[in-house]
Amino acid sequence: MTSSSTQPVLRVRDVRFGYARGHDLFAGVSLDVGRGEVHALLGPSGCGKSTLLRLIAGLERPASGRIECDSQVLTDGGTFVPPHRRGVGIVFQDLGLFPDRSAVSNVMFGISGPRRAARARAKELLRVVGVGDAANRPPGQLSGGQRRRVAIARALGPEPRVMLLDEAFEGLESDLRRAVRNDVFGILRSRGIASVLVTHDEQEAEAVADRVVRLPRLSRT
Amino acid sequence: MPARRPPVRRIERWLWVTASLCVSALVAGPLVRVVASVFEDSGGVWSHLAETRLADYATGTASLAVLVCVGATVLAVPPAWLLSRYRFPGAGVLSWAMLLPLAVPGYIAAYAYTDLCAAEGPLRRAIDGLGAADGMAWLVPDMRTLGGAAVVLASTLFPYVYFAARVAFREQPASAIESGRLLGAGPLATALRVELPLAAPAIAAGLLLVLMETVADFGTADYCAVDTLTTGVYRTWLGLGSEVGAAQLSTVLVVPLIGLFTLEAWLGRRRRSTDTTCRVMGDRRVSLGMPLGLCATAACLAPLVLGFIIPVVHLAVLSVNDNTDAGRSWLPTASWNTLRVASMAAAAAVVLSVVLVAASRFATGRATSLSFMCSRFGYAVPGPVIAIGVIAAVSAVSGALHAAGLPTLGSVFAVGSLVTLVVGYQTRFLGVALAYTRAAFERIDPRTDDAARTLGVGSLGLLARVHLPLARRGLLVGFVVLFADVVKELPITLMLRPFDFETLAVRAYKLASDERLGEAAGACLAMGGFGLVPAALLGAVLSHAASSQRIESPNR
Repeated sequence: MTSSSTQPVLRVRDVRFGYARGHDLFAGVSLDVGRGEVHALLGPSGCGKSTLLRLIAGLERPASGRIECDSQVLTDGGTFVPPHRRGVGIVFQDLGLFPDRSAVSNVMFGISGPRRAARARAKELLRVVGVGDAANRPPGQLSGGQRRRVAIARALGPEPRVMLLDEAFEGLESDLRRAVRNDVFGILRSRGIASVLVTHDEQEAEAVADRVVRLPRLSRT
Repeated sequence: MPARRPPVRRIERWLWVTASLCVSALVAGPLVRVVASVFEDSGGVWSHLAETRLADYATGTASLAVLVCVGATVLAVPPAWLLSRYRFPGAGVLSWAMLLPLAVPGYIAAYAYTDLCAAEGPLRRAIDGLGAADGMAWLVPDMRTLGGAAVVLASTLFPYVYFAARVAFREQPASAIESGRLLGAGPLATALRVELPLAAPAIAAGLLLVLMETVADFGTADYCAVDTLTTGVYRTWLGLGSEVGAAQLSTVLVVPLIGLFTLEAWLGRRRRSTDTTCRVMGDRRVSLGMPLGLCATAACLAPLVLGFIIPVVHLAVLSVNDNTDAGRSWLPTASWNTLRVASMAAAAAVVLSVVLVAASRFATGRATSLSFMCSRFGYAVPGPVIAIGVIAAVSAVSGALHAAGLPTLGSVFAVGSLVTLVVGYQTRFLGVALAYTRAAFERIDPRTDDAARTLGVGSLGLLARVHLPLARRGLLVGFVVLFADVVKELPITLMLRPFDFETLAVRAYKLASDERLGEAAGACLAMGGFGLVPAALLGAVLSHAASSQRIESPNR
């Protein structure tokens, strides 16, 4: 279950994780994702696809294994870089937009520097993902596709080295889904961001990914 | 209220609407009577109050409300956040123990603190014993001040904010908080920039309850010698002997309080309509290391010590040390009276709330909605104001019954009868009963109504055979909470009780007013014991929620 790349941005080596001792969700998972590459994770429900993304993001700690980003060790036996210092962006299935903030304020959240400059950059990102005209609206007043685009713009705000997309296009009608997906991966590739997409849709995985990784469901001991 | 309306026969619908209007007339009547007093002649009392005392009363009320709200926020929100996000020594116990101050009425904590900090009190003696009386005098504050009353009320009312904040922090979308972390914000920055703004509506709703309780408070303000509109109403009634003047002073409170109550209800509706499809934070907590963990324990323990442990321990010591024979003789009678009147009032409130909620379900429309809304307002109105309204309304009804040749019925509704006292409690607490009953009925799927109707069951049969059995647990919780509220209630009991009829609250108030705190301590502790039951119930709700998706909290 190893994929290789000449100069990977994201390296995952022999990662093992379980919620209880002796009950591994997965074991020995390895990934190498290069600059501008997209890897898709496929597998049955409950095999740990989303959990692997959470491990890369630092939202969970693995039982063992090593995760690196641009040669910086993020997770190892004794090392654990907290989520806010990893340079990893994520788009959740339920997006996690801040409901009390406007679209532009959501995107500004992760942009450091003077407020005026941050606002200008947030607006630019919203324009790039195609929702520039909805900058001042709160998430509750946006359509499903617009909300996803805002979530992508927000994740791009801090200029991450790695982008994780956890079923980020679920629930969209098929034509819209294709359009949003093509736009998003176009932007990610053009910026050289290494991306990992979790999806249930094999056709989608084949269509957008440079590599498809299948996680098996481990038999529980 | 359910979205779908099962078909109800016209006669049934008419009966439900009539019953609903009768209940709301019974409980809202006294408030209407208070507002109507604006048009009556007070014999110069109102103009006298307006010229001399009104500004002091209004300033005292506003200052106390602001100080208590600030204090309750400081005491409640940091522990709620710490207990929602971290594991540290004692967190499991503290999680529910933070609700224990609800068992201690503010005026009882005021008795304990005033005695503790008195000139010859134990705290002063301890400092004198250390030989540093002058340098450490600031450690013994004067509790009979605005600041003292604010500290006492904040430390006993903060659980309202704690509970609301705790539920809000638990129900927050996990992905939003994790996104905050991944966008570069540390744990504290995420708390301030993401979690606190998301919890703000719930915290505001909790603070509104604290605000209403503070404005409605009589016992603490009276004992701490703080002039508020509520104590002013009582003094006008007792000191100036003017019911109309007291009622007119009450209107200054009633109108803004009803506005606040409406705002609280609106916030409650907003909280209930939040997105339920996303993954919530629930009980996921991170372990804190030792130095930080102990700091977190101390931060959570401090409000509990202030609002529960210090007053209860001090009262227990006073009670044990009390040697007066009289300290024991009245206790059985006062306890029996308390038990009797609280049971009657709680049972009546649950029955009336079932009538209103069932009417809203079976006969949806403006009349039942209005009845429902009007019946809740009393919770926002201070006890003395309600008592004044009840006295005026009951006097009018009793006079009319006597004039109509029905003296027996007239004496049942006379001022100073047990029935009148229970009516006063209904006006004040029916809003609480409605919150619990509505929450219990809302969990019943409207399709069960449809299914029962197709099987030939009428609305009364549906209520008796389907709704009440399904809602019985919620109704029982409502009964227990109401029972404890009535046990603690002071001004309505003081003003409406039958002659020579004393409850624990009244006896404690009279003894404490006579500086016989040792004797009052037994009654205070007995009331605290009654109050522990609803506090434990709310604690169980928080604990149970750890294993469930969402917490259903009745919106009082």
